[in-house]
Amino acid sequence: MPQQEYKLVGKSIPRVDSKAKVTGEAVFTADLELPRMLVAKILRSPYPHARILNIDVSKAKKLRGVHAVVTGKDTAGEKWGVFRYTRDQQLLCVDKVRYVGDEVAAVAAVDEDTALEALELITVEYEELPAVFDAWSAIAPGAALVHEDKPRNINVEVKIDVGDVDEAFARCHLVREDTFVAEEESYFMTEPYAVVANSHSDGSVEVWMPNASPHTKAKALSNALRIPLSQVNVRKITIGGAFGGRSDVFPAEFITCLLSLKTRRPVKLVYSREENTIATRKGHAMITTHKTGVDKEGRVLARESVAYLDGGAYSSTGPIATSVPFLCHEQAYNVPNVRFTGYRIYTNKPIGGMIRVHGRSFACGIDTQLDMIGKELGIDPVTMHLRNARKAGETTPTGSYVASCGMTECIEKTAAESNFLDKFNNPQPLRGIGMGVNSVQTGFPLGIRGGSQAFVKFHEDGGATVVSGVVDNGQGNDHMLVLIAAEELGLAPDDIRLISADTEVTPTDAGSYSMISTFGGGNAVKRAAEDAKAQIFEVASHMLEADPQDLVAANRKVFVRGAPDVGVSIAKIVRQALLMGRPIMGRGSFAPEVDQRREWITNPRGQLSQAFSFGATVTEVEVDPETGMVKALDVTCAQDCGFALNPMVVEGQFEGSVAFGGHGGMLSEEHRWHGGHCLNPTMLEYKIPVMKDMPRIKPIIVETIDPAGPYGAKEAGMSVAMSAAQAYCNAVGNALGIYFNHFPLTPERILDAIEKRKEGQGIRTAWEFQPARVIKTDDGT
Amino acid sequence: MRKQLLSLTVNGDPVELAVPPNYTLQEALRNDLGLKGVKEGCSEGVCGACTVLMNGAPVRACLTLALEAEGADIVTIEGLSKEGWLHPIQEAFVNLGAVQCGFCTPGMIMASKALLDRIPNPTDDDIEAALTGNFCRCTGYAKMRVAVRTAARELQEKAQD
Repeated sequence: MPQQEYKLVGKSIPRVDSKAKVTGEAVFTADLELPRMLVAKILRSPYPHARILNIDVSKAKKLRGVHAVVTGKDTAGEKWGVFRYTRDQQLLCVDKVRYVGDEVAAVAAVDEDTALEALELITVEYEELPAVFDAWSAIAPGAALVHEDKPRNINVEVKIDVGDVDEAFARCHLVREDTFVAEEESYFMTEPYAVVANSHSDGSVEVWMPNASPHTKAKALSNALRIPLSQVNVRKITIGGAFGGRSDVFPAEFITCLLSLKTRRPVKLVYSREENTIATRKGHAMITTHKTGVDKEGRVLARESVAYLDGGAYSSTGPIATSVPFLCHEQAYNVPNVRFTGYRIYTNKPIGGMIRVHGRSFACGIDTQLDMIGKELGIDPVTMHLRNARKAGETTPTGSYVASCGMTECIEKTAAESNFLDKFNNPQPLRGIGMGVNSVQTGFPLGIRGGSQAFVKFHEDGGATVVSGVVDNGQGNDHMLVLIAAEELGLAPDDIRLISADTEVTPTDAGSYSMISTFGGGNAVKRAAEDAKAQIFEVASHMLEADPQDLVAANRKVFVRGAPDVGVSIAKIVRQALLMGRPIMGRGSFAPEVDQRREWITNPRGQLSQAFSFGATVTEVEVDPETGMVKALDVTCAQDCGFALNPMVVEGQFEGSVAFGGHGGMLSEEHRWHGGHCLNPTMLEYKIPVMKDMPRIKPIIVETIDPAGPYGAKEAGMSVAMSAAQAYCNAVGNALGIYFNHFPLTPERILDAIEKRKEGQGIRTAWEFQPARVIKTDDGT
Repeated sequence: MRKQLLSLTVNGDPVELAVPPNYTLQEALRNDLGLKGVKEGCSEGVCGACTVLMNGAPVRACLTLALEAEGADIVTIEGLSKEGWLHPIQEAFVNLGAVQCGFCTPGMIMASKALLDRIPNPTDDDIEAALTGNFCRCTGYAKMRVAVRTAARELQEKAQD
């Protein structure tokens, strides 16, 4: 159908969930109140690494108002891991604690004060062990082992080698090697983590919590609690942001369920802001060494990258987290010969997860180095990016066919809109302009089989209810599903009810991590609505004496194309269908066409994701050399989102991405540590951007109409989040004539780099870091 | 801890509560009165999610002791819409896409209300000064600025009618 015929998609209309959110009606997990509900609190390790010798809970159990106390003994040492081969996290520690904050015991009591008092009555005897706090010391021979069965603390090793890298380097005109370092950042989603569990006498348990995949949570809980999957019912709840930090399974939900099962009462656990930072997930610190070789025109012929990710105490999404920085890069750039070795290293720190600008050192390193190469060759950044940009119809080095790609358009439009070349070629003192480009997946498989499914049922008044497993973390997935169903069925968004993200009722869905929801869940709902529409047309064809193929659904009516005045209402058709004993019930399913044999470590080749988004961002800044403060002036961001289902929502995603990925991600956000203790776990010390910080943002939507996306849509915002970090980085560098290689660019680092800047030393990074190299283990492997 | 009596007005209704002296206004509003639109984001007065109006001024409910509100007039997000009709600030947040996950929204709207009550025609600097104490992680604040400006115009037009 030509775009202009769409009634709803492609237009900016208010989100269906926003009214409940502006009135305070929207219920988040911590808002839930159930009769006889108890309050849970968790006792955490005060040590980064220690053996648990004994836990005495007898005094805590005797405290008036305490209903249950649990420790690792109540769990049979059950371990969680995203993959079978990464199951390394006990849901309550049994033998060892591995970071400050590791879960040791938990209580359920009548109120918060009693629960906290009970925690103080639990005595744990620890034997402190030597600990490791960064990748370099963790991989040193003889270093303390976080997990005894993992030599050199190597948690994950990803090896990719495509083309003939060594041969290609040999014929390069110019080869550079530089090392880039980034510290850990955090999500700071506004809603702290919380869980409510309610066990029932039939053996089932209901669970509410912020999540990025209710079905993944249910599966993990079913395994850990040894309750049939059909009896673990993860319920729908409003979710206050995720940004990658809600994708995984945490001990919190397991512990809350365990306490509810033990007490036969509802139990609520609400994390403090500090717990949300320490005991959910945080970003990875990362060291990346890029060696890049180009021809005379600046085309990259070969690249070798080695990356160390500081993973913290447990695997989490380790194999994915280790691979994705490279994969985004191989999607964004055409690099024929490429070798990547990525290590995720265990340390005695909180657990690393995927975050909005996952892999800052990798991505910013690529674009900084490209700017450096451009400088050496006398080629501007726009030309450098255009010459190396991915194009539609190409295949990535690891074998993903790129069906749609607007990278070139994103680069050209942001460059034109920001007047990039003019500003770059006529620099003003202390002002800088920088460009970044990136690409992300629209989903990859993660343990949930069969993609996404959806149902559509009708009410006798012609309204419909859509049933989908897709979860909304705040990005607007609920709205997206309703919009698609309404468009297909010729209804208004108000006519559609949505039941979603409830594992008892809704069919499976992969989850909203990895930007799959529109592409996967959106397509499933579209197919379910199409199925329902076909049934409606079948019934209507008798009523209108017309061929179903000639029928159109719009404005709550079905009519013959070109004759909208003589239609029949959908309500009437629905009732007619009931009389005929053929109730309208739509079913739809969508599984992206990906190579199921692809595996993160053992087989990193084949189609990774069916579609990819592409983005470019240009940032303009002014730097104060006295204070090291950066003022962002203007940001121009463009992303090929396939098709903007709701431009207002897409723009909102772009703007949020600039704030999170670019502004906070590159200028201020990092954790500081002392002996495994996080020094800035709260919003007071950890600096996220506030309204006053934010520059003018010009969002540019680029549409390439992906052949498989719903109406051509892919994903909205992530390529901006990533490329914004790179753009900020290059803009600050451009303002000062410094190539930064330690992120984020805090005032301290900027002042240090200014001080260390030496003229006439050629094109070099601000700091010299020890390069990341392939690790040779003792057995020679 | 021994409870003390507290009398105040919440969203126009007189309320009497018995609260421990260490109880925060946030606890009183959320736990005793069920006003869950008062969000708890940081518990240390930084994020602004718990912003309510106390005698017309924006306060952090998490840092305000309940007993400090003795005799005060408190307005929470639940008190803003009347009989199902959204306040122009709420309307603007909905229509202009200023709402994403929604957790910061109640506090952001209450801070905006306090601003527009004080300065009906705010400059961009006024808006930034009033809302910079409210954290949002989703929107980048761009659509919120537009929403507040739009609501200000709307309210002024209404006042002239």
